[in-house]
Amino acid sequence: MMGKMLLALALLAGMAPGNGDPVPGIPPTTCSIPEGIVPGETSWAPLPESAAPVDAPAYYAFPVVSTRRLPGTGLAAGLGEVTFPDSPFGVTLADDGSYVLDVWLSVERLMAPREGVYVGWLTTPDLDKVERIGSLTDGGQLHGRAQWNKFLLVVTLEPADDPEAAMWTGPVVMRGMSRSGLMHTMAGHGAFEQENCAAYGYD
Amino acid sequence: MMGHGAHAEAGGWRMPPMDMTMPMVPGLENALPPVSPFLIGDGMDPAMFPAAEPSRRVVMADGDTLDMDVSVVRRTIGGRDYAMLGYGGQYPGPLIQADRGSRIVVRVTNRIQLPTAVHWHGIRLENRFDGVAGLTQDPIAEGETFTYEVDVPDAGMFWYHPHMREDIQQDLGLYGNLLVTPPNPDYYGPSHREEPLLLDDILIDEQGLIPWGEEAPTHALMGRFGTVMLTNGVDDHRIEARAGEVVRFYLTNVANTRTFNVRFGNARVKLIASDIGKFERETWVESVVIAPAERYVVDVRFPEAGEVGITNTIQAVNHFRGTFYPHEDTLAVVSVNGPAVDDAVTQAFDALRENRDVAEDIEPFRALLGKPVDYELVTTVRVRDLPVPIVASMEADTFYVPPVEWNDGMPMMNWLSTGTQVTWILREPASGQENGDIQWRFRVGDVVKIRVFNDPESFHPMNHPIHIHGQRFLVTERDGVPNTNLVWKDTTILPVGSTMDLLVEMSNPGSWMVHCHIAEHLHAGMMFVFEVTEE
Repeated sequence: MMGKMLLALALLAGMAPGNGDPVPGIPPTTCSIPEGIVPGETSWAPLPESAAPVDAPAYYAFPVVSTRRLPGTGLAAGLGEVTFPDSPFGVTLADDGSYVLDVWLSVERLMAPREGVYVGWLTTPDLDKVERIGSLTDGGQLHGRAQWNKFLLVVTLEPADDPEAAMWTGPVVMRGMSRSGLMHTMAGHGAFEQENCAAYGYD
Repeated sequence: MMGHGAHAEAGGWRMPPMDMTMPMVPGLENALPPVSPFLIGDGMDPAMFPAAEPSRRVVMADGDTLDMDVSVVRRTIGGRDYAMLGYGGQYPGPLIQADRGSRIVVRVTNRIQLPTAVHWHGIRLENRFDGVAGLTQDPIAEGETFTYEVDVPDAGMFWYHPHMREDIQQDLGLYGNLLVTPPNPDYYGPSHREEPLLLDDILIDEQGLIPWGEEAPTHALMGRFGTVMLTNGVDDHRIEARAGEVVRFYLTNVANTRTFNVRFGNARVKLIASDIGKFERETWVESVVIAPAERYVVDVRFPEAGEVGITNTIQAVNHFRGTFYPHEDTLAVVSVNGPAVDDAVTQAFDALRENRDVAEDIEPFRALLGKPVDYELVTTVRVRDLPVPIVASMEADTFYVPPVEWNDGMPMMNWLSTGTQVTWILREPASGQENGDIQWRFRVGDVVKIRVFNDPESFHPMNHPIHIHGQRFLVTERDGVPNTNLVWKDTTILPVGSTMDLLVEMSNPGSWMVHCHIAEHLHAGMMFVFEVTEE
């Protein structure tokens, strides 16, 4: 939840996607190396830059930012672009009425790991549903399809490229949130409240 | 769901029902729309008016004439009587059936105090009978009669409705279907029965109908969502079928603003046709998203005995909780019983047809599908004199805008906004012109590509069903992706953030409207007129 709120604040603060700079007013996250992750070497080469992200005009885009939890990833920047899948009705809906949306991830300045592989995932904010959308091995671009109205897009460092993986096991390297995630409770935290999220216990 | 109306009543206004967990927007506790409240027969006992009858099918041969009056009728919804409006004393209006290529004559006599006119939606008829008061005809005043000569060159399910204050008149029941039958009996695949379903909603609280705005519409921001779903004019529509039967549903959305997501339980659904005829290919679909004024034709096979709910299944938005939540309305119930059938019709349902006749009809336009865009339109909105808390809420709300507004997530703000304060805009970037200032001129035979973009970065965007009068068009691309299963349309939904390319065949001379078919958006300015000349 805290991560969501921080990311929402970052978006609200007008952070330009892709610049990798700290967000004014937002304390940088700790840059320690998670346990079990082998630090890389300085000779890492950057992944090839993305091709044109999508053919279709985007419904909207959202930043995918580095968690700065891994050396070589602090300058990484990404963009999630959301488009509509082809449908006779203009929009596509899942059985429960949720939107079905195409999500395109492009990243830059993400250094290749010495070991393991970066993998992209779509998941719900509660992490109760997770879908692997591919590995970032060839061009730093991935495409997935979200069937949830609020979703997160995360990139993790996995020990191996396992297309059958149901859940990540490595650290989250980058993360982004659908714009719908910006909708949150207005119980004392609505459009007319001037205080920021810190007043509600988030730091 | 309780209403705030009890403590908001003043000057005849009652606030529409809203979830009591939803707080009043600060500063708006005593606000009222800055227009007068209006109800048909306000203060009069509905028993004074004749009871409306269910819609009847009227099969008309070429040259036949139908007399159809517009009158106040008594309708019963949820066990309560209301003074409403009817065509021919019926709800919906008569289901008019005519053969393709014929001309029918409909003499409309206005017996209500509101001036009116009848628009024949989707029909490529002679311009002077298009029914747009102030453009193609004078309004029909009380006691007057206007005679419409309706040529029907295309097969399909069409509909008719007023083109004057339709936010009131159509909402009160002035709508009906016009079924144009094709000469080829095998035009559609086989089915056991046909069921037209006109989908509507109406805004009612425990005291009755919520008034409309007299001088201008209320609910100008999002349109007037109803609280009670009506299918063919009733809130408990039932259909009988036998197990194994294939039922052809002709869906028409006649609601002011609500887009429906229609599901047929777990039954298999085959998408056959839309506004003006069949798709190039039949396809299986899970549900049908249908915007105001659109039509879709689907075949549905009910394999087992039992009851199947036809539902509007959506994820609604709760702005207070900041959540989506599942919501389902039952639009109709299909009772599947009796001896099962398993005949050739049942078997034929499994096959998807390729419609060569449609492909041949489209063939002359095939080379033009990829032509450059001739004209562009962008949708946006402008507000003035709205209470500051509403504007602030709208700005905050713009952080996220759903592609389609399935429910009224801000009923108080929406109710307070009127057509005098809100201007919905179709803007031509090339000229900078907006709405009525846009001047497009074409000649018969022109084939024009129009790109329409619903800018998600505009002030407070919303989905718009875009309707073009008097012509037909193909949606050639959605969001840069070519459409590989074409169908002729007259109305198409434009979700927020979406771009659509429309290839319009200018086949019909006259002065024609382009507008958003959300009734309140139309009356908030979202329209213009283009000219098509013979040479």
